[in-house]
Amino acid sequence: MVVGEIPESTGVLVIGAGPGGYVAALRAAAAGKAVTLVERDAVGGTCLNVGCIPSKALIAAADRFHQADNGAAYGVLAEPQLDWMALQAYLRRSVAELTAGVNQLLSAARVNVLSGTARFVSPTRVAVEDAHGLRHLEFDDCILAAGSRPLELTAVAVDGARVVDSTGALFLQERPRSVTVIGGGYIGVELGTALAKLGVRVTIVERAGRILPELDAALASVVARRLAQLGVAVRTGRSADTVLDDGLQLDDGSVLEAERIVVAVGRVPNSDGLGLDHAGVRPRPDGRLDVGPDRRLARHLFAIGDLTDGPGLAHKATAEAEVAVAALCGEPAAFDPVVIPAVVFSDPEIATVGLTRQQAEDAGVASRSFRFPLAANARARLDGDAGGHCEMVVDDAGTVIGVHLVGPHVSELAGEAALAIEMAATVEELTAVIHPHPTVSESLPEAGWGAIGRALHVHRRRPGR
Amino acid sequence: MTLRFALPDVGEGLHEAEIVRWLVGPGDVVARDQPLVEILTDKAQVELPSPAAGTVRLVAIPEGTVVPVGTVLVEIDPAGTVGSPTVAAVPAGSARAEAGPVVPASPGRGVPAVAAGGVADGPRPKASPSTRRHAVHLGVDLRAVQGSGPGGRILRSDVDAAVSPAPAPTSSAASVSYDSAGQTGQPAPVAQAVPAPTSVGPGSVGSSAPRVAPLLGQHPSGTHPLRGIRRLTAAAMTQSWSTIPHITGMDEVDATALLDARSRLQRTLADRGDHEAAATLTPLVLMAAAVARTLRRFPLVNAAVSADGTAVTVYDEVNLGIAVATPDGLIVPVIRTADRLDLVALATAMSAVATAARARTIGADTLRGGTFTITNYGALGGRFATPLILPGQAGIMGFGAMRERPVVLDGTVVARRTLPVVFSADHRIIDGDLSVAFQEAVLAVVADPLTLLLGV
Repeated sequence: MVVGEIPESTGVLVIGAGPGGYVAALRAAAAGKAVTLVERDAVGGTCLNVGCIPSKALIAAADRFHQADNGAAYGVLAEPQLDWMALQAYLRRSVAELTAGVNQLLSAARVNVLSGTARFVSPTRVAVEDAHGLRHLEFDDCILAAGSRPLELTAVAVDGARVVDSTGALFLQERPRSVTVIGGGYIGVELGTALAKLGVRVTIVERAGRILPELDAALASVVARRLAQLGVAVRTGRSADTVLDDGLQLDDGSVLEAERIVVAVGRVPNSDGLGLDHAGVRPRPDGRLDVGPDRRLARHLFAIGDLTDGPGLAHKATAEAEVAVAALCGEPAAFDPVVIPAVVFSDPEIATVGLTRQQAEDAGVASRSFRFPLAANARARLDGDAGGHCEMVVDDAGTVIGVHLVGPHVSELAGEAALAIEMAATVEELTAVIHPHPTVSESLPEAGWGAIGRALHVHRRRPGR
Repeated sequence: MTLRFALPDVGEGLHEAEIVRWLVGPGDVVARDQPLVEILTDKAQVELPSPAAGTVRLVAIPEGTVVPVGTVLVEIDPAGTVGSPTVAAVPAGSARAEAGPVVPASPGRGVPAVAAGGVADGPRPKASPSTRRHAVHLGVDLRAVQGSGPGGRILRSDVDAAVSPAPAPTSSAASVSYDSAGQTGQPAPVAQAVPAPTSVGPGSVGSSAPRVAPLLGQHPSGTHPLRGIRRLTAAAMTQSWSTIPHITGMDEVDATALLDARSRLQRTLADRGDHEAAATLTPLVLMAAAVARTLRRFPLVNAAVSADGTAVTVYDEVNLGIAVATPDGLIVPVIRTADRLDLVALATAMSAVATAARARTIGADTLRGGTFTITNYGALGGRFATPLILPGQAGIMGFGAMRERPVVLDGTVVARRTLPVVFSADHRIIDGDLSVAFQEAVLAVVADPLTLLLGV
């Protein structure tokens, strides 16, 4: 047992090894710093272990099963069987392969990875506790990347068996007959859709008036229609009240069938438990930390990812890691993206980048838009999924300020949309770029043409909203 | 975020400058546009104003060092910017809660992932990520930069222009104006500033004026007719050379007092908040004032011999011509009654005519009626020259490059910045005694600019 009165020293200490922390560690190491990375669970953080990655694995499996079971229109007749344990093994294998890759990179970069829980004992010193005891680390600079955890409901306590959080929902040991998902945000919709495709009777309960309340209503309505086709029951404007032996009682007294209950109502920053008061830092009441444009909290302290304002998305944390390391190395740096693209792996997928018409209006930006229906896009039609659209929002000068897609494969188009907006591309530029046929990407110039009144594959110009 | 302020590219052909004197030190609180440092280029001595208000964190270059363009000179923690500077200034051990919420809540909070901020701030500047990073490095606020790209997009070159204006004068860098050569036709940028971003905009005067320098000395081979200003210049210089018997005197004067006075006046103007006047108050303005007022004491120098050589006209006004190089050639705009203008009025007038000259918006009236001319050929370098008198005048005074040179002071050789002064006079009416007396009188004012107080 190490008593830890004599501190070890490190140049840069990174707390949390998620997509923010491990990237910060790699970048700081590449800049020649001696880096220690402390992680209390598993390298890769929420994203790799219990978030983005296993959920996309579950969705990939669900889509294969569902397509095989619904291929008659394509002349494919099959009666697929589901091997739940093999599916679970695939999830775990997907996670293990990717986290092994991250570990390999960290090791090659000579990042010192410590397993344990970090707590500040002074502004420049952290105590790391693991199963074997306590060690003290004195650092020159520290980057906090401790992430977030699922928000818990007092009325519906997660017990890990009958009531699970999003993590528990991914790694169920057997396929339940019925699941009620509390929370119709993107996590609840993704999980509910995948489980429904795997043959589970799913109900989604959302407190707001519609599912995906944080997204544009035009996008959400396409997904809502598809959920109905998949047999997912959606109860909006309701919240969970009591867990019953045979179901879940809502605030209106109605009872939903629920062999399992999944709580997916949001996430809270892990800013508590770090002993930040010893570092002279106090989180806001919502748990977030106030950082400057260069992600600096105090002279030698930075915070990134879900600990700071903005969407709790892996790619946002990664981008902030680059900024924090640059600032730590003495470069002028600012986290100032025009857009942070968001994608939802619903059915169909959603990609939303930049301002909607409403947001533009709220911001005082004069804009126009055009919504190109994917019914006029060959690739979307061939996929049997032509109910979506591509909406482009442009400002007075013709600069693209928003792109909102719902349809097959559209998550892959978020990058192009983000590039266009970050570069302040105009519609003229975007439409001058030849997009390959037949792909869903053609919907981008189509929407662009429409936004400047020159729609090609649409008879009649329709207002965007 | 700390702003790093680098030696700007102060003009064509200039690659380095000497750090003459720091006017601020670490820990000093500086106002925006407050002079930070005096630098000496091979063209002039210049004060660089602070690009932002804040606290000087680091003075990176010791006095007397010659550094290339782009070298970081000083680091400033800006005051009043959102977020980190204030945060960074909080000692790590202190309780941040007492400082209150220093960072306004991000507008992105509670809004969907799509808008990363700036929504609540209204339209944000359009610029690509690399351009934005470039702006962060240079400490430029993009909201004050006018974009020249498609849809008003701010290009990297727009950011560069905001930091280091091209030799063509902008409103805030109008002090560039007069440091022009009489002979060679290249505008010589002198005072270089990191202009206040507000000055960089659609209203910037003359910013579209073409630069002369790249064309200097370039011409297709063959025989070409002389056109425009070139033809007029040729005719005027031929007339001057063939009809006016020139005598040229040369001397040199310690310019320390003049430079000192100029710095102090500039600081006073800046303190008053009159940054535009401060920027236009170049050393040449003081020299012009010295010449104009001295002319009043020597009427025969402010005169002309008639075209047939039989009469002399003594002018009753001092209308001072100032040689300005333009892309089209050398022109000489005139400041009317220059001897009766106070320094700020003279500076403003000089700035205005030179800007107009380069922007080709100058009126013909402004080019007529000169009674005496000055040329600041030394802005390009060079010590002594023999400038030609404009027909219709009796003298022209030129200023060489101010540099540190050995000077004997109280029997000891010391290094002082000296100003070479040359004076060409029409020997038909000005003999050596008057020529020398006039030149000595101007030198006396340069040596002791306090005498300018004796009356406007």
